[in-house]
Amino acid sequence: MDIVATLVTGFGFWNPIIWLAVLAVALVIAYLIWLTGESSYKPGTEQTKPYLSGNPEPAKQDVHVGGGHLYWGFTEAMRGYYDRIVPLHTGVLTDYLLWFFGIAAILILIVGLI
Amino acid sequence: MTLIETILAAVGGTVAMAVFGIVAGLFFLGVDRKFAALMQARIGPPLRQPFIDAAKLMRKENIVPENAIPWIFNGAPILALASAITILLYLPVGSIMPVLGGAGDLILVMYLLTIPALAMVVGGFASGSPYATVGAQREMVILIAYELPLAIAIIAIAWRLSMAGIADPFSLTTIAANPVWGVVGPVGAVGLLILLGILAWVTPAELSRIPFDAQEAETELAGGLLVEYSGKNFALFYLAQAVKTIVMAALAVALFLPWNLSSFVAMAPAVAVAADFVFFLAKVLLVVFFSISLIRVSMARFRINQIVSIYWVWLGLAGFVGLALVMIDAILAGV
Repeated sequence: MDIVATLVTGFGFWNPIIWLAVLAVALVIAYLIWLTGESSYKPGTEQTKPYLSGNPEPAKQDVHVGGGHLYWGFTEAMRGYYDRIVPLHTGVLTDYLLWFFGIAAILILIVGLI
Repeated sequence: MTLIETILAAVGGTVAMAVFGIVAGLFFLGVDRKFAALMQARIGPPLRQPFIDAAKLMRKENIVPENAIPWIFNGAPILALASAITILLYLPVGSIMPVLGGAGDLILVMYLLTIPALAMVVGGFASGSPYATVGAQREMVILIAYELPLAIAIIAIAWRLSMAGIADPFSLTTIAANPVWGVVGPVGAVGLLILLGILAWVTPAELSRIPFDAQEAETELAGGLLVEYSGKNFALFYLAQAVKTIVMAALAVALFLPWNLSSFVAMAPAVAVAADFVFFLAKVLLVVFFSISLIRVSMARFRINQIVSIYWVWLGLAGFVGLALVMIDAILAGV
């Protein structure tokens, strides 16, 4: 298989190598712009402390956003959906298999009808 | 074109698009500020103010906080600007067809749009600041939220073009050359108007502008994921914002307003390119006014959970209605 060929899916297409080449050039341009800027600052002074509107910094573990909270806004907005879906995840394998076969049966019926 | 020629065109195109994206982007940020000022009965800053701001930021101290991971903290703004520039190469500018039109389609553009936002998320998490962490978390959520309506709008247009027998419906060259308004009937036109409205509402979220700027939210998060950024790092995020403004406007123009002056008025080829370019900038101005300035002046910031509801429930439903109308139109047309 030609590694530099454009991937054609029938409707869509894209060429990853060309994108990577373009990204490399764009990164060089962005880096050159970045280099022209001022680099200095005062390490170890007040200016390198996190800005918290003058409040003391809480312990790291208290302000850590864990994986479970990463999508908080999403789960909060879709609470009506998640409140129904989460309890269905019982952790019991046979329950999951039942869902799997049930949904597969419905899909086969729909496909068969169409 | 051989691979070498394509790569050479890509390199030249990248330099040209970087210059165009940054200069035009900063100019339109100035236009947006002027529009906002005029709507609020202020004189507002001069149009060149974003250039002055960027130049000043480049001369300021580039503070790296003690909690930050320096290489990621410094690398994120560079990646944000670079990835925003690459998207411009896939979009038509006036009658100048995309440099990489044959090397990527609309679906690719949709996914490339997420990279500058992800760079901001990475930079926010690497800042080691609680405000930035919350801001980065919100940016992730917003990113997922506007994906659904944006995808519906894009797929509806490509599907309708495909139904009209046009080959390569996802190619931006095809979409620019075959305005979708000419393919649909009255029912489809209503559907397209709904989808145009959806794209106008996705644009402020993509650009982190009011009312969808919960990830920065100056009044509650003090700048959110950008709170620790200063100097040249902040300047690069600002430039990335400018380039993204052109990207989103160029995308809206390519999808919904692809007409060129040279299609209506006979003119010499060189004049046609210049006239179409000026016409393109006028269309960008229109998009900037309606989907950035007007919305941000007339609205207050939404909460993060409201943003998700708006995109997934209301704009998602509106998108499906638009898509259904486009499909009904295709059935009525007998395709």
